Amino acid sequence: MGVGKLKFRDKLKDESEDIYILALESSCDETAAAVNKNGLKVLANVVSSQVDLHKKFGGVVPEIASRKHLELLLPVIDQALAEAGIDFEDLDAVASTSGPGLVGGLLVTLTAAKTISLALNIPLIGVNHIAGHIYANFIANPEIKKPLLCLTISGGHTDLLYFEDLRGYKILGRTVDDAAGEAFDKISRFLGLGYPGGPAIEKAARAGNEMAVDFPRADLGDSYNFSFSGLKTAVMNYVNNEEQRGNELKINDLAASFQKAVVDSLTANLLQAVEKYDVESVVLSGGVAANQRLRSYIEEKLEEHNLKLYYPPLELCTDNAAMIGAVAYYQYLERDFAPLSISADPSLKL
Amino acid sequence: MLTLAIDTSTDNLGLALMESGQLRGEYNLSLKRQHSEKLLPLIEQIFELLGIQPRELNGVAVATGPGSFTGLRIGITTAKLLGRIFSIPVKGISTLEIMAAGIAEPYLLPLIDARRKRVYCSFYQNLRTANDNFLKEIYQPTAISIAELPELLSNYKEKEITLIGEKKKEVRRVLEANAFSTRLAEAESDLPRAAVLARLGENYFKTGQRDDIYQLKPAYLKKPQAEINWQQKYGNN
Ligand SMILES: [Zn+2]
Repeated sequence: MGVGKLKFRDKLKDESEDIYILALESSCDETAAAVNKNGLKVLANVVSSQVDLHKKFGGVVPEIASRKHLELLLPVIDQALAEAGIDFEDLDAVASTSGPGLVGGLLVTLTAAKTISLALNIPLIGVNHIAGHIYANFIANPEIKKPLLCLTISGGHTDLLYFEDLRGYKILGRTVDDAAGEAFDKISRFLGLGYPGGPAIEKAARAGNEMAVDFPRADLGDSYNFSFSGLKTAVMNYVNNEEQRGNELKINDLAASFQKAVVDSLTANLLQAVEKYDVESVVLSGGVAANQRLRSYIEEKLEEHNLKLYYPPLELCTDNAAMIGAVAYYQYLERDFAPLSISADPSLKL
Repeated sequence: MLTLAIDTSTDNLGLALMESGQLRGEYNLSLKRQHSEKLLPLIEQIFELLGIQPRELNGVAVATGPGSFTGLRIGITTAKLLGRIFSIPVKGISTLEIMAAGIAEPYLLPLIDARRKRVYCSFYQNLRTANDNFLKEIYQPTAISIAELPELLSNYKEKEITLIGEKKKEVRRVLEANAFSTRLAEAESDLPRAAVLARLGENYFKTGQRDDIYQLKPAYLKKPQAEINWQQKYGNN
């Protein structure tokens, strides 16, 4: 085309030089800006939460969130730059979450990042929000040894990843149907335990016997893929049969047995990968990673392999821009830049 | 004095560069729901083609709607960041004012489709001077059903009203059925033209008028639907 190509201000830097990145995030109900130096060093991490604004509606209202993101945008950027003690001119690149999330919100920081990129003639980096949550681990635990395996599990995805180093990852397996968190939500609702399903099932399971019912664990052969729809159907069939026979349902036992089946499936693939790949650590990420039964079971199994399990501290589990900036740094080193025509992708996958 | 004009309020993506009263370039492209993908590449292109650096800008004029909320946020975000980075003035201008300011007739009714037989409109009287058109806002931007327009405009029955924009023919039928006299704007005036926005912006900047970029927001003219539903159920607060 001839036009539309950025002619970057200076030559691009490599790892031997200091690289400052302004990162922005607005995929849900937090408006956030951060300044990262060389990836994992967080110079500023400003998060303005709108949680209270959405409380009365019982969930995030996309249009209200988008309006608030636009209001908070400049204040969070100003604060991040001030806390980091730098100015726009000092930036080497600008990054924004490009998905997944609410499209109206994503477009606010993505458009801002594009404008900064054009105005300052610096690279634009589009970051996957899920990758951000994984890299939050590396910010919190810089001592994590590579190569490593990462199991990232939430309501939207279930992926098993292999990292040689932090510059990129290989997807070993993902769910072929429901995400693990989705299965928790559906079964929780089915058993009358409410929403969100993860904590509800976990709580009921604590008072139940996980050996009570032997639900099926999907076996997808040699692949590292996951499947939870068969398990979901099995739970529903079991409950319907018991009800038809007039047997009383032991909800806590069902919750515990279901949870154990999910934990077993997740752990089986992880351990299969541990056997195959010579890794130094294992990392958990995503909302379902908060499940204590899952953590303790995986920890127990990893001990046999002398491997340590990492998961991010609570304060880095909420959405923030520092995690976006961490991913962006490695994308910068890989020269993985976005064109100004990039748009938000509400269902972006890893 | 170099002014960039940005309009992403309707299906039209408008971009213009005006340099001290001289139009250097203008895009008006009907791009439904593509503002996010197209705006920044087109800004980069217009700069490159004209051999101008972004840092040479002296001001940014941006359309504030009414219009598509998502579209408006794209344009306004861009204007805010340019204003912030280069420390230059930004002025938000009503999309309806842009439409009216392109026409030299005395009574002007710009219209934007608000769906379900409703329009966003405002009503202006054009007080022409030797140098420029000056618009006096008689009714400020509002969302109204087309059927209610004869009542809104009842004091202007003897005047000829120029109808501009989307739904102008439908509005004409309703007004003429109520004994109004109307004329239709020419096709090229139905869009909020980016060059007009640039000219208005330059005029505002010349007289020292600018907006606070921290307060600048779209003319939503409507609360989010969830808020309306909530208020219907629980009342105010
Ligand atoms: Zn998140």
